Amino acid sequence: MKIMSDNSELTFSNFGIYDLVDQLELILPNTLIKFHRISENAFSYYRKNSEGNVVEKIIPVKSQDVKIELAPIRPLNYPARRTNHILLQFDKEIYLSENSAASIFVNCPIEIGIFLIHNSKHDSLDWITCDPLNSRFGLYGSPDTGTLCKYAKVTMATDYDDSNPYIEGVIQIVVENTLSFGHTISKVVFPITDNTLYYQNSKTIIDGLKITMKKRAAVNIADVQTTSLDTDWIASPTWEDKTTSAHMEMGLE
Amino acid sequence: MILEFLQTLSEMQIVGELTVLSLLIGGVIMAGGVIIAKIAKLLFHKYYAPSLPKDTAQNISKLIYFGILIISFLGFTSSQGIDLSGIMVAGGIFAVVIGFATQSVVSNLISGLFLIVEKPAKHGDTIELPDMGISGTLLDIGTFSSKVRRFDGTVTRIPNEKFFTSNIRSLTLSTVRRADVTVGISYESDIDHAILVMKNEILETMPFVLQVPEPEFRTEELGDSSVNIHVYVWHPRDDWSNAQPILLNTLKRALDKSGIEIPFPQRVIWTGKD
Repeated sequence: MKIMSDNSELTFSNFGIYDLVDQLELILPNTLIKFHRISENAFSYYRKNSEGNVVEKIIPVKSQDVKIELAPIRPLNYPARRTNHILLQFDKEIYLSENSAASIFVNCPIEIGIFLIHNSKHDSLDWITCDPLNSRFGLYGSPDTGTLCKYAKVTMATDYDDSNPYIEGVIQIVVENTLSFGHTISKVVFPITDNTLYYQNSKTIIDGLKITMKKRAAVNIADVQTTSLDTDWIASPTWEDKTTSAHMEMGLE
Repeated sequence: MILEFLQTLSEMQIVGELTVLSLLIGGVIMAGGVIIAKIAKLLFHKYYAPSLPKDTAQNISKLIYFGILIISFLGFTSSQGIDLSGIMVAGGIFAVVIGFATQSVVSNLISGLFLIVEKPAKHGDTIELPDMGISGTLLDIGTFSSKVRRFDGTVTRIPNEKFFTSNIRSLTLSTVRRADVTVGISYESDIDHAILVMKNEILETMPFVLQVPEPEFRTEELGDSSVNIHVYVWHPRDDWSNAQPILLNTLKRALDKSGIEIPFPQRVIWTGKD
């Protein structure tokens, strides 16, 4: 089986819904996915990544109308699901003078979910990451009381179209400094389970964030809140149980 | 006919005023008590326990079960016309004797209560008792003893008194844990280069190692045969098996790939002629 040694020669499969008739092949960076009908009521699923790891499954189906949805999901599953939080470390620090605000676009890592659609229900079949080397953990805070996060060193994007397909999505972050002095911000920590992902062709955008630097009692904090995105892009199905948490508060360093 | 049968039973005296009928009634009360206790325990486990922490649920379950049994026993004794006040007086006399005889039992019971209140560890925690050389998963803090499932799959029962007075090292209270190993490189090797290749190999091939805080390298000792470097990496607390056991393999692979020598212990011997 040909596995992608040179991704530039290949045309990758877009995100979206695919009919599963007899066989289906989906090609993603460093990953090949194949569906094949093995009987009237069953398909085989085969997935191989660049590291040579193979996942095979048998999928029994009841109805003839079976579809597959390929969609971006939150980057929380590789190498194992351990947290709901993500720590985005900006490659360049952002300085905000007193009582000012700024809006930036940041590339945020994503994973890709494969969903089985039958009778209008989405079942999570598998997930992959096209960039396993950059899917790592980090700790925000001290070892005893800190928050375990997925960690990513991220670059700035110019707008929602400026993303690395299949690997990163774009998230808009609005930063507001209500403090009486200028401050630099270099990272953001938030529960990404609150953020919905949207896709169009091979690109992904994510619900935004609003960071307010403010004073609470005698402590300067950054209040991080999710802001819903108003878009005509397609909302991605939720891979994991969605949790609701009002907001995240970070200490300002 | 049943009434006649019961009449006959009530006339059959065993000792004093104790009849077969009263004994039968007592038996029914006790059996009913046991059944009610089991049903109450079952209902508690089904409807309420899932929303409580496991150790709290277990303690409440025991309280319900034994509470109903004690009430049944009191019902049984009163149905037999037994005067417990006599037993109380006798109990006072024997209390000192029983106290000495059951000193360790009472001690374990009290320690168990303190363990439940203080909660130095809870059901499912991975703990280590360095004084006893025991480490594993805490299964249960019982009335008199606690159970720990060791990593080899065996279960060790520890009297609560010993458990309570021991040093308890919890391996699951912190969000992350640290793994560490020492590796030696030859004196001819460039230390900074060796650290760089080891760090890169760790970050590339060990997905459970945290990038923040990043792996730390300390030149620990200029040893007899090698420069010893101590390596510290952090990992999520539940992923010890994805870090500590493979860390040394990863470091050796990195050094081998870069041609950095890991020296054998060696001695330079000078003879008299030399």
